[in-house]
Amino acid sequence: MGIESITFLIVAALLALMALGVPLGITTLTVSLGTALLYFGERAGYFIVAANVSEVLHKYELIAVPFFVFMANVLERSGIAKSLFDSMAIMGGRFRGSVAVQTCIVAVLLAAMSGIMGGEIVMLGLIALPQMLRLGYDRKLSIGIICAAGALATLIPPSVVLIVYGLAAQVSITKLFAASAVPGLILASLFICYILVRVRLNPAMAPIFDIPETGLPFFQRLKFLKGVVLPALLIATVLGVIYTGVATVTEAAAIGAVGALGVAAVRKELNWVMARDAMRQTVLTVGSIIWLVLGAVSLIGIYNRIGGGDFLHGILTSLDIAPIWVIVVMMLIVMLLGTFLEWIAIIFITVPIFAPVVTDLGFDPIWFGVLFAMNIQIYYLSPPFGPACFFLKSVAPKGIELQEIFLAVLPFIALQATGLFLVLFFPQLALWLPALLD
Amino acid sequence: ETLTIQTSFNAGDFSTKYLTENWLPKIQEMTDGRIEIELTPSGSVVPSRDTPEAVAAGVIDGDFTSVNYFAGLEPAYAIMGDLISGYDTPEQMLGFCRDGGGEAMMQKAADSVADGEVTVVACGPYSREALVARVPIRTFEDLEGKKIRSPEGLAAAVFQAAGASPVAIPFSEVFGALEKGIVDAADASAYVNNDATGLHDVAPYPLYPGIHSMPSMQFTVNTETWESLSEEDQAALRKWWYDAMYAMAAEVSKKDQELAARDDASEDIEVIDWAQEDRDQLREVAREQWKAYAQKSELAQEALQANLDYMKEIGLFKD
Amino acid sequence: MKRILSTYTELMDRVSVFLGQACTVFLFACIAVSALEVVLRYGFDSPTVWSTELAMALCASAWVLSVGYVTERSRHISITMLELLVGPRTWHVFRLIQMLIAAGAILVLTLALWDPAMKAISRVEHSGTAMNSIQPTYLKALLVVGCILYLLQLLSNIIRWALGTERETSGGH
Ligand code: NA
Ligand code: NA
Repeated sequence: MGIESITFLIVAALLALMALGVPLGITTLTVSLGTALLYFGERAGYFIVAANVSEVLHKYELIAVPFFVFMANVLERSGIAKSLFDSMAIMGGRFRGSVAVQTCIVAVLLAAMSGIMGGEIVMLGLIALPQMLRLGYDRKLSIGIICAAGALATLIPPSVVLIVYGLAAQVSITKLFAASAVPGLILASLFICYILVRVRLNPAMAPIFDIPETGLPFFQRLKFLKGVVLPALLIATVLGVIYTGVATVTEAAAIGAVGALGVAAVRKELNWVMARDAMRQTVLTVGSIIWLVLGAVSLIGIYNRIGGGDFLHGILTSLDIAPIWVIVVMMLIVMLLGTFLEWIAIIFITVPIFAPVVTDLGFDPIWFGVLFAMNIQIYYLSPPFGPACFFLKSVAPKGIELQEIFLAVLPFIALQATGLFLVLFFPQLALWLPALLD
Repeated sequence: ETLTIQTSFNAGDFSTKYLTENWLPKIQEMTDGRIEIELTPSGSVVPSRDTPEAVAAGVIDGDFTSVNYFAGLEPAYAIMGDLISGYDTPEQMLGFCRDGGGEAMMQKAADSVADGEVTVVACGPYSREALVARVPIRTFEDLEGKKIRSPEGLAAAVFQAAGASPVAIPFSEVFGALEKGIVDAADASAYVNNDATGLHDVAPYPLYPGIHSMPSMQFTVNTETWESLSEEDQAALRKWWYDAMYAMAAEVSKKDQELAARDDASEDIEVIDWAQEDRDQLREVAREQWKAYAQKSELAQEALQANLDYMKEIGLFKD
Repeated sequence: MKRILSTYTELMDRVSVFLGQACTVFLFACIAVSALEVVLRYGFDSPTVWSTELAMALCASAWVLSVGYVTERSRHISITMLELLVGPRTWHVFRLIQMLIAAGAILVLTLALWDPAMKAISRVEHSGTAMNSIQPTYLKALLVVGCILYLLQLLSNIIRWALGTERETSGGH
């Protein structure tokens, strides 16, 4: 059977199992096991799945996820999140959509302190989502903001995606980081513009926080900043330990978890029951996330070994179009693979084939790396295999189903694609900052 | 027949490009098209540490990887993988594999983890790793108190014995850790690769030539597959691999020297080359660690002895 | 028979919840170990060689051993769109199918993980780092234990389905 038919069968089986309501981790696991056993036979098939699944537990970066989840649970349970959003709403005054915009800005700050995506989405899902709903914000808008802005963790440096890409393609990671900062901010700005336009067109999506305080003049509203002080201090501490070189990104997340307990203590809300319950919630969340990850990575290696690379080679060599359109085709392929493969697998399959072509065509591999990372943003959100949506679902308030999350992120996927094509056709957006480094 | 071989190279590594462009076509020529080799990047089919068993199970046809990854499975792999401060050039160690007892020893190690289902075709290093540092480490004494990221194998033990603190951060955090000063130095890759990933931007005091760390690789093929090949093709594969490695060693060394000379002349980077007396001091320390490490298993003991015998033979080592 | 089965579900559910809540201890310890490493390295200039591997082992323990708790609470993430289309009665049947597929997949995964784990235990695989802990052996064995826990809890959930004693769930199986 050709790789095209196998690809089709894999996608069809994934969709069928998902639709049946089989848990997503089990869905990918079942398909991987089936493919591996049919293609390699029992011994080799067992081995390739077992080896790749076991490797997940060796991934040190992943231990930041429980730290972030715990941090968020403490902030949420201790009432810090509520007073933070009250303060934000008051500071925003009568400006429609202000809390959504502020959430985007907080997401950018969080992205600068995390290199992986899961932790930030879960954190925003726990802290921001219930508060935005409480303040009357439109559900779909709130969900979309959190998934899209939370995924920025892997575009705004530090980013594990860029590090892995840099190692695979052997390009400067410093320059990748420098090059991705502006596109990250462009995406964030696109999200903010979108929010402002939507709430202008439909004011019901973002009600004004209707208490007398929001009507006060700006300087009198400043005294309500107090709810922001402690969380801001916490974020500043975590960013501080990272950027002054005290701790690695993963360790900084642990410092943040300890810091969250400290903040709760300052507010005299720290007690054993609160900490224990926050941790129990954390266990449930990370316990469900890990099976998602285990299932997702079980397909790594298999698709590569059964000829995913040849498939791409075939597509690329059959092209007879202008160089920039070759890049467009590459981006479309990454998007396509993103519907059913894990991002590491996408790097393994595409980078060895794309990177030499990109250089041969005379393009900058740094720029391509940024495009790649922006495309991974789309992969995070796009159904059916959209990890950001799964992560949000793991903490979303009762009643928010995955299908609603998928619908909510669609406009944001369009925004991500807009950003991607902006950088694709205007490479300077990415390249001017690294050029300063030379 | 196409052999799928998993390497420990990244897709964009100099070595990947060099082999793909120059040497993969040659194996076809040498065997009249009977054998083709496809190289897949590090970790692309199975995690690097699992390649011997993946070869045994037939997931991949063979591996072309640094054996340091297997140090936790059998300590002999740490000795065979990188005898820090042992050899002066990759060619000497390739000689140990090809003409000394190296291959036989590597086969014994393979048998201990893969029950005779993996055939070691050849082994040896192609490059000297450079140590990248963000602070100058000009002498042996400068190692004292430095925090050095070191992976599996002998390196950590040697650094520790030399007064440095090995830090066990994973590879994904090395870059940030060097940039921010969480570690002072890290063993990384060949100079040409470190240059490409921009490590020298954040760690501008590379030690080159480093501390004579030369990660040895192995080239294995699944035994059943190997036995299905004609003797002629078997001989061709072995010859091909050594020819490629000697050529690549020369090429990498040339590239490394060019880049090091270029960087040394620049303002931003200072390339540090230790004096012979500092190298001798480190070698002293390293030898103690070889012996200590060799205590960990009989096979490790045997591996060390095989290396020492060959080093004596070529005059590198006197009792 | 029915009594034996419902005793099993009671017991299994309790074991799962207990283990899951015990995982909080692992995560607290993991946070403490990671934070301590920063203090020792930055404050006292003496990094440890053990903190990374210990933190990973603790965190992995929490991830894997919480599986019974997650399954008991039906917190695995899944798409439940069809529920609205097919109606509650058909969906009830679907739930059994979901659990059976999960049990089948986890059973096969257990078989796949079994030999590598047994091999690792019999020869004791080390990490080969400066610490040279038995982390690889531990993690391989841990994953098998996790799979077995998952299976046992799935069995309990399936029994509850058959006996009609399921709790209300929010997605998952
Ligand atoms: Na980030
Ligand atoms: Na996707």
